[in-house]
Amino acid sequence: MSTLAFLLTQGVNALSQAALLFFLGVGLTLIFGIMRIVNFAHGTLYMLGAFIGYSLLRYTGSYWLALALAPLTVGAIGTAFELGILRRLYRRDAHAFLMVTFGLALVTGEAVRLLWGSDALQVPPPALLSGVVFLLDEPFPVYRLFLVSFGIVVAVVIWQLLERTRLGLLIRATSQNAEMVHALGVDVKLVRSGVFGIGCGLAALGGVLAAPLVTASHGMAATAVIDAFVIVIIGGMGSFLGSLIGALLVAFVQVFGNYYLPDFALAFMYLVMLLVLVVRPGGLLGKEA
Amino acid sequence: MQKMKPLPALGGFAVVCLLIAAPFGLPVFAMTLLTELIILGLFAMSLDLMVGYANLVSFGHAAAYGLGAYASGYLLLNSSMPLPVVVLLAALLTGIVAIGVGWVCTLATGVSFSMLTLAFAQLLYAIAFKWTSVTGGSDGLAGIPRRAGPFAMTIFTSKTGFYYFALACLIGAYFICRALVRSPFGLVLRGIRENEAKTLVLGYNTRLYKVTVIAIAYALGGLAGALYAPFAGFANTELLFWLLSGQVLIMVIVGGQGTLIGPILGAAFFMLLEHQLSSYTEAWALFFGLIFIAFVLFAPEGIWGLARRAFARGRAPAETRHD
Amino acid sequence: MQTKSRFSRRWVLAGAGATLASPYIWTSAQAQAAGTIKVGMPLALTGPLGSVGQQQKRGAEFYTKLQNAKGGWLGKKIELLIEDTAGNPAACVRKAQEMVERQDCRLFTGITLSSEALAIVPKLAEWNAIFISSDNGDGRLTAESFVPNFFRANTSGPMGTRAISLYLKDAPYKSFYALGLDYAWGHNSVQVFENELKRLGKDFLGKVFAPTGTKDYSTYVTKIRQSGADGVYLVLAGDDNNAFLAQAAQYQLASKMAMLSEQLELTAMRAVGEACLGIIASARYAFSIDNPKNKEFVELWKQEHGGQVPDQFEGEQWQCQRVFEAGIAKAGSIEADKLRPALEDLTIDDIKGQVHMRKCDHQGVQQGFIFKAAKKEGYSHPVPEIIATLPAERTTPPCNKMTYDD
Repeated sequence: MSTLAFLLTQGVNALSQAALLFFLGVGLTLIFGIMRIVNFAHGTLYMLGAFIGYSLLRYTGSYWLALALAPLTVGAIGTAFELGILRRLYRRDAHAFLMVTFGLALVTGEAVRLLWGSDALQVPPPALLSGVVFLLDEPFPVYRLFLVSFGIVVAVVIWQLLERTRLGLLIRATSQNAEMVHALGVDVKLVRSGVFGIGCGLAALGGVLAAPLVTASHGMAATAVIDAFVIVIIGGMGSFLGSLIGALLVAFVQVFGNYYLPDFALAFMYLVMLLVLVVRPGGLLGKEA
Repeated sequence: MQKMKPLPALGGFAVVCLLIAAPFGLPVFAMTLLTELIILGLFAMSLDLMVGYANLVSFGHAAAYGLGAYASGYLLLNSSMPLPVVVLLAALLTGIVAIGVGWVCTLATGVSFSMLTLAFAQLLYAIAFKWTSVTGGSDGLAGIPRRAGPFAMTIFTSKTGFYYFALACLIGAYFICRALVRSPFGLVLRGIRENEAKTLVLGYNTRLYKVTVIAIAYALGGLAGALYAPFAGFANTELLFWLLSGQVLIMVIVGGQGTLIGPILGAAFFMLLEHQLSSYTEAWALFFGLIFIAFVLFAPEGIWGLARRAFARGRAPAETRHD
Repeated sequence: MQTKSRFSRRWVLAGAGATLASPYIWTSAQAQAAGTIKVGMPLALTGPLGSVGQQQKRGAEFYTKLQNAKGGWLGKKIELLIEDTAGNPAACVRKAQEMVERQDCRLFTGITLSSEALAIVPKLAEWNAIFISSDNGDGRLTAESFVPNFFRANTSGPMGTRAISLYLKDAPYKSFYALGLDYAWGHNSVQVFENELKRLGKDFLGKVFAPTGTKDYSTYVTKIRQSGADGVYLVLAGDDNNAFLAQAAQYQLASKMAMLSEQLELTAMRAVGEACLGIIASARYAFSIDNPKNKEFVELWKQEHGGQVPDQFEGEQWQCQRVFEAGIAKAGSIEADKLRPALEDLTIDDIKGQVHMRKCDHQGVQQGFIFKAAKKEGYSHPVPEIIATLPAERTTPPCNKMTYDD
């Protein structure tokens, strides 16, 4: 393989990995930014998205429909959970959130197993995205190229949402000073519910997108939640741009690291996090010290 | 508050007496379970020192447990030192390593601190996984003996003897922790918990206090792990994994953080519940999760707080911190 | 008001405490005299390896149902003690200990993870219990970690790799690269493969190991492609196997080189669909094994399970139960001291053909099967099509070893 082909291959590999990590992390960072909640259930919601996507694909035959509806479904479930249970806990300390989201993770994980069984399930990509593109004699799966493009699109959409729309303004303001926003007459509770729902929906979106690569499986949740936390911490909790940079950083380190030093594969992510936090304890773009 | 003192002390004494008498009345498996509960209780209590008294939420406390277990397992398999010596040595080793870990982790606060503790635990996990010659790699160390050693300390190698040793470790650790939190050191910790900035302004080197409490907490967690290895006869990478860290944190919260006794009860509750539920149904995780959600909603002060309120004589205090 | 709620809380707490503690306080040795023979199975029914544990459970339950209808063992009904460990060795040891101490259960099988098996095995002597493995493939269990009360009825990891290597002797492929999971089994099998290739005079171009839980295999696919090998040998399992196969198919790896695997179960084939077409793998058990006993087993299984065919571990569990059956019948007892010698030097002839439990290391000496994943009428996913059967003496390693001498 020529050097150029190698770099191109690895580059696309890293970008597609970054896209998946970004989808995982962005929901978590939004939730933490607004609500200061450490959501242990993030990985199980990601997994739930994959399984719901599987069912939607089976019954409608359309991957695109699954991609659209699964996040909405999980987002709705998340909002319901927030309305029913999380709302009562805002006056309490952080430990309450830890335990309640831990409980949610257990319940959701087992519910998935009861509803879909213990086996991994196939979620094939749509025919349009199933092929391979050859560049410099090297194969590039169309699905990965799609992941990268879709990731860029979603990143831009969210960025514009946060910067340009009223909703985005509310979200940013609430994350900085909820009291003031409340004093200005905005229903902060509604903003919180909405953001939690969106965060859960984004996690589920990540799950549906990952499923063609890893199948809808029960082990998804465990690795996902850790990955999400690491990305978000590296980037800085609550920083959207941070989660993007964190995803890119980890993906590139892992892809090139696994290639040259496969023995350290387990450790790369944590070493990066360690280095970043030692230098900047709040994360790269973090607001907290 | 003073009204409460004689009752808990009497109650505590009664419980200890019961625990000492246990091997004479309880059936064999109950003793096995009780020994494991004591070890887990010690593990949870050690985390409470950090979480409940200094608000240092660790996502990586399994590192202490695993390190203690591997150290004691390795020494028991490869040297002729007697069990009690090995266990205490392993705990000491864990505490020493924790000084370094604590020093780096306290560069950050809040969730960043928690994630740093997780990073260390995962790095230890990766090392244990790959350093096959010492740790047995993914297979771990098996067949760990309860060695009596040269001074014929055979009393510790029998099931009952080991139980008493573990119980002594728990009770000893409890009194150490209690003395610590009631001392001036403990007051500073609580100052850090309530408002670190103010405590700093008052002239205290808060970082030093934090690192010290982390070292002690890890040492005691390591003690628990060091007891676990000869108890179960094995030590493997699961003991370092973040799942265990998450579980012990939940044990502390459900038991009632900042109470020392609470987390011990929380550990017992967690383990017994999981053990029982999983023998009734495959879907045990569902009920397990629902019970924790219920705790958060209806019993925010944890098991110990519930118990104190339910069995209190006189006015039931809302304050549940163990002073 | 205060007093009232305090009272009800007292009762709730007391009630909860009593419920949790009671089963252990009351003396409760449910002795064998109760009239059943207990077989302990602390399985991973949930968690990442849940699907393997579920297979073991189904295999054991199916056997037990049929056998109990014929009178069970020694005239007593078989009672399976099945509990979920979620793949946690600590929970596995705890549950096994409970089965021994509270239920007087001295027969064990169906322990899912090798880490769980390795934790249990040193305790067998203390418990005076016999453990016959149905899926633990770690070579060590009949080598360094061997204990007299352990028996392995299933094909081990080294045996699977050896079968592939024997098949490759006459195959056109000359050079190979290997990808394994980064833990004991992966390393062990890749090492055996490397040794075997040397013996065959073929080229071993390199190897790489991926940690369990790897989600993105793109880097590993790149390495495999770069090696320029004729074939790649995969030692992967579960979610990792599925992820790799799905991703490798997207890179069209199969068009560049042959893909061989130490094992490939039906659950994996269902999970990745056409991505596994053409893979050549060693089977610990496959429903398509062609002998009358297996055909009968598959038919009965299909009737019981709504047309589904048995998967790898379901068949292995069945075979394991048959070994128990033969051993117990020969010994006339379930006591460890009588059962152990009865299980040694025991031969059965069942769904995988002849299996001889040899005395030196308690490994079941049995044939190796190689299959190709191919499409078949009536199935929506690829199924194993047996292409070679290798003799037992050649497939099974020498006593107490994980490697081969010839």
